[in-house]
Amino acid sequence: MNLTKIRKDVAVVGAGMTVFARRLQETGKEMSWEAAKMALDEAGLTLKDIDAVILGSAPDAFDGVHKKGDWLLDGAGGTNKPFMRVYTGGGTAVFAPIAGWWHVASGMFKRVLVVCEEKMSSVQPHAQSAFAHIWDPILDRPLKPNLVWIFAMEMQRYMHKYNVRYEDIALVAVKNKRNAVGHPCAQLADPNITLDDVINSEPMALPVRRLDISPPSDGASAIVLVSEDVAYEHTDTPVWIDGVGWCIDTTMWTNRDLAFPKFVARAAKMAYEMAGIKNPRKEIDFAEPYDPFDYKELQHLEGLLLADPGEAAIMTREGKTQRDGEFPVCPSGGLLGVGNPIAATLGIKIGEVYWQLARKAGPRQVKKDVRTGVTQAWGDLMQFSAVIVMRRR
Amino acid sequence: MIERIEKATEIRHWLGDMEADHYYYSSGIAGERFFVALRDEGKILGSHCAACNLTYVPPRIYCEHCFAELTEYKEMGKRGCVVTFTVAHYDKAGHRLDPPEIFALISFGPCTTPLLHRLGEIEPEKICVGLEVEAVLKPKKDREGKITDILYFKPAK
Repeated sequence: MNLTKIRKDVAVVGAGMTVFARRLQETGKEMSWEAAKMALDEAGLTLKDIDAVILGSAPDAFDGVHKKGDWLLDGAGGTNKPFMRVYTGGGTAVFAPIAGWWHVASGMFKRVLVVCEEKMSSVQPHAQSAFAHIWDPILDRPLKPNLVWIFAMEMQRYMHKYNVRYEDIALVAVKNKRNAVGHPCAQLADPNITLDDVINSEPMALPVRRLDISPPSDGASAIVLVSEDVAYEHTDTPVWIDGVGWCIDTTMWTNRDLAFPKFVARAAKMAYEMAGIKNPRKEIDFAEPYDPFDYKELQHLEGLLLADPGEAAIMTREGKTQRDGEFPVCPSGGLLGVGNPIAATLGIKIGEVYWQLARKAGPRQVKKDVRTGVTQAWGDLMQFSAVIVMRRR
Repeated sequence: MIERIEKATEIRHWLGDMEADHYYYSSGIAGERFFVALRDEGKILGSHCAACNLTYVPPRIYCEHCFAELTEYKEMGKRGCVVTFTVAHYDKAGHRLDPPEIFALISFGPCTTPLLHRLGEIEPEKICVGLEVEAVLKPKKDREGKITDILYFKPAK
């Protein structure tokens, strides 16, 4: 792999996102347009200035429309432009920006728009009906799997192997739902939520309880990526993508190390090497890891090599990962607090890191001076990870 | 831009479905051996990669790590241990499961890939990682060559 000789440095100069909620009225195209327009406005650009468009969206089954990429094309601003759809499940939120990055880093395009959309409310009776078709039809489906319970088995294995207490995991849900109070797009912000609320919430598939899980949602997010050649024409505060990495583990989920996400570590090492980061704990100031379940934030921090296995739970208990703590994690409020429209979580992952580093995060701005942030998303059949390191220069 | 419409039927809407609603999935070459051995002999088979020292359960014709062709089939026995488990209170449609169903990954020994299945004849509170379990099969006359020919795993005697 050549992780050093990239032709062009790439910066984020604008981001936008819609409210995350059950949005029955608006179409996916309309939400895509709303988010894309916000990102262009922040960058001071119009659609005419954009050289190429990347669209990220999760399974076609959510909409019951095949080739969802070209279905959403016009709302994403891709008509009559070089256009591609990428899809790695939940990982799309950070992988679509990586696809945008290589369009610009290669030197081919100067200004690229990345739009991620998800509308989970169309599928009936529930988005779980679409998820039922992601498993092996011969070995898994006859046992009637539910997405929640494979996560429950992973959480159980994580707790068992590293001796992690459920109470410490539940604190992540409390933190993120409270952090989301400052987010204008939040679906599940709760300023008053307590640890007892999470611990006493309804058992779904034990050890997972209702408040350990992020909600299905509808929404869209977008960012504008530009080449170093033009970045300062658009803003005084470009935020640079200095490292990208991605990796996928075996599709046979039963055969993975369910306690430590090795594929996250591989993706992180790739991104850190590209960014010249030797000691991630010292050189990274805050993180936006993927948190569809509270235990995933902890596992992902460990996969990102920002904590030893099992240590992220202790950091959480000690308050280090609070927004004003020594290492803020998910200052956006994350998927647990803002919502989980799969691919559209771009806005609370790379979007949040951009806003934080550009000092545009408003009431969510972390107290300490942050210059380097990392974000990560997780997807496909809980086996894929994409990682981006960003810096303010 | 946010409306508070509770029901999808309250807005102007069109019903749609994906018309190709049936698919035929085949069990493949290794899968055929696995399901026939399960149905006819009540055996659980795996295939072994000597180079990686890894046994795939159910068997596969190739090793995904080194791409070797796997021709060595092994009988795994019926006893294994619980790698992880969950007590599921809802099915995929959101309906309550009463009593809850217990799912687990079962390992047939070191360096083997675990098998997903149900646990039975046990109280949820008594399950732990590492618990020794054994497969309970349907009577031979009822077996069809499906993963559900194994009814569940129960605590080993």
